[in-house]
Amino acid sequence: MARPEIEGDWVMGWPDRKRAAISAGKDSQGRVINGRCPVTQLEGLLTPTDAYYVVNQLEVPEPMHPDDWVLQIGGLVDRPIALTLKDLMKFPGRTVRAVTECAGNDAGFFDYVQKGGKKPSRINQQDMNARAAMREKNAVPSTEEISNESTTTCAVSAGEFTGVPLAEVLKKVGLKNNAQSVRFQGFDRGQPDLAVQYRSVGRSDFKLVDPGVINYEKGMPMAKAMHPDTLLAWSMNGEWLTHIHGAPVRVVTPGWSGNWWVKWLEQIEVLDHIPQCYYQHHYFTYGEGPDDPKKEMITSMGVRCIILNPLDEDSPLERGSHKIQGRAWSGMGMIKRVEVSTDGGKTWADAHLEEPVERWLWVRWSLLWEVDKPGAYQIMARATDETGRVQPQIPWNYQRKHFDGIVPTDVTVV
Amino acid sequence: MHIAVCIKYIPDPEAAFSMFSIDEQAKKVIPASGLKHVVSPFDEQAIEAALRVREQHAGTRITVITLGNELSRNALKHGLAMGADDGVLLADAAFEDGDAYTTAITLAAALKKLGAIDLVLTGRQAADGDTGVVGAGIGELLNLPVLTFAKSIAVDGKAVRVERVLDDGGEIVEADLPAVVTVSNEIGAPRAASLRETMRAARKPVVVWNASDLGLEANAVGAAGSRAVRECVFAPSKSVQCEIIEASSPEAQGAQLAQRLREARVL
Repeated sequence: MARPEIEGDWVMGWPDRKRAAISAGKDSQGRVINGRCPVTQLEGLLTPTDAYYVVNQLEVPEPMHPDDWVLQIGGLVDRPIALTLKDLMKFPGRTVRAVTECAGNDAGFFDYVQKGGKKPSRINQQDMNARAAMREKNAVPSTEEISNESTTTCAVSAGEFTGVPLAEVLKKVGLKNNAQSVRFQGFDRGQPDLAVQYRSVGRSDFKLVDPGVINYEKGMPMAKAMHPDTLLAWSMNGEWLTHIHGAPVRVVTPGWSGNWWVKWLEQIEVLDHIPQCYYQHHYFTYGEGPDDPKKEMITSMGVRCIILNPLDEDSPLERGSHKIQGRAWSGMGMIKRVEVSTDGGKTWADAHLEEPVERWLWVRWSLLWEVDKPGAYQIMARATDETGRVQPQIPWNYQRKHFDGIVPTDVTVV
Repeated sequence: MHIAVCIKYIPDPEAAFSMFSIDEQAKKVIPASGLKHVVSPFDEQAIEAALRVREQHAGTRITVITLGNELSRNALKHGLAMGADDGVLLADAAFEDGDAYTTAITLAAALKKLGAIDLVLTGRQAADGDTGVVGAGIGELLNLPVLTFAKSIAVDGKAVRVERVLDDGGEIVEADLPAVVTVSNEIGAPRAASLRETMRAARKPVVVWNASDLGLEANAVGAAGSRAVRECVFAPSKSVQCEIIEASSPEAQGAQLAQRLREARVL
């Protein structure tokens, strides 16, 4: 019988290179409830489903068989309707390839870029099992414990999603003239995980609003809801959507952070206002502090560019040629340009954008760096999207959402 | 028709003896941490029997009941995934360390609370304790007829007809409903839970009742109410003797071996 090698995997009976896998946290029954994507190990553009990051705000619900699933659509519509999955799949389909990114991805870099200190790593991952165990106990970490944890990185992936444009479904039910937003409700239910929110802020010495037991819900402005790439998706990466990613059907909201991609969808309600959902009024907001009366809900991601080679951990580098490479994406449109600096931002050179460059997907970029002089180097990369936005776009906010700053790689050449 | 199936969540009876330790002072058998637990196989067959009755009587409701701690929810989940409609978990610290008598008292009280049960099914015995008397105890406490060791069950009108397994054959007996039937393994393999039913199981209703919900005094159940006294718990001592049969020829060795085996009543 074939036995696993240390450095590789057995794949379909053959010895093969090791496959990238998520760093997962499991519940007491061995079920994955959270996970971080091995971003530094990925090739290609699409993240394998088994390596896709997992973040949940409430309890992961028990699975629902697709034949038992019914989507209720009501509110300010002419013809309220209940759709089975088979009904939904009769609509004209659409496939979108897009980055999914947790709003809190790379949150720790906000502090690092502004204040310095310990640099977060995309290799030394958080202990997701410790987080999962804490979650099962509804435990809340102290501020000191939070400061000793690794901050959230690698909560980003990219996939191909197939479903039906929400706009097609809304046309079928007919929108009333005063329709302003669409409220999505998932069948995941529970009390918000306060530890997640405290980690987001970086401290737990303040009181959070307790909404009690709720369903996950978000109220999307109508313009985004009617965008043809906003989908109700039942497929991911060429196969049926898996339970942990929201099966039978989830919302796909390209360009907007993961909290808008409502999983385990069970209800759609059309409203004449933006609802005060917990997860857009109290959490997933921009603001100066917990008591800021002018908190704004977050929507589109900023402009992002990360260096995946070399990493700080690769230092020291030998003199010679090195391929500086990474990925770039933007919440508002296609990436048009990536620039690289090897002198700490004094001078910049255009990187090569590897085809294809798609609107919602990340793009692989690279630059060949010839270095023959020993010393310390600071490599930086910045992206520009088709709307002309150059990173960084998102200012510091107390929940540290949508970080899109420029993070240098620090290496020594010997 | 409403069928209640009493089931028990036990350490895997197929587990090696080395997976258990004995606490002689506490007079308990302690399963190793992480040892797999399963629904007692005879109880699983009782669920199967209930499902077969339902196939003949549309609209039948099947309730699975178990007595145990929170982990015993898994037994209910299994029964619900096989196709039962709802579950009852009897959980209370007062229920712990009971005997067959207090188990029967507790289950009988739960069945009474459920109300209007037509048929109560149990396994012929639990695969851990092997007492085999809880089913009969329930019948006695509820004043119901008890039919044991069923290999097939048929419900016809207001009566239940059971084919019983005997040491030397079988017999067919009948009783008026409501009745208690204990199910033997001859009824056949239990069905595997389908994916759809497994997913549905998580949404089927499960109620949790404690001693107070059942109107039972804490000193009437569990260890306090037990009538059986466990004097001691010990591992059986094993001794192995080996005899080398020597003879002048292989034929003579064979003859002597046969003689020894006859004496040992192996042949």
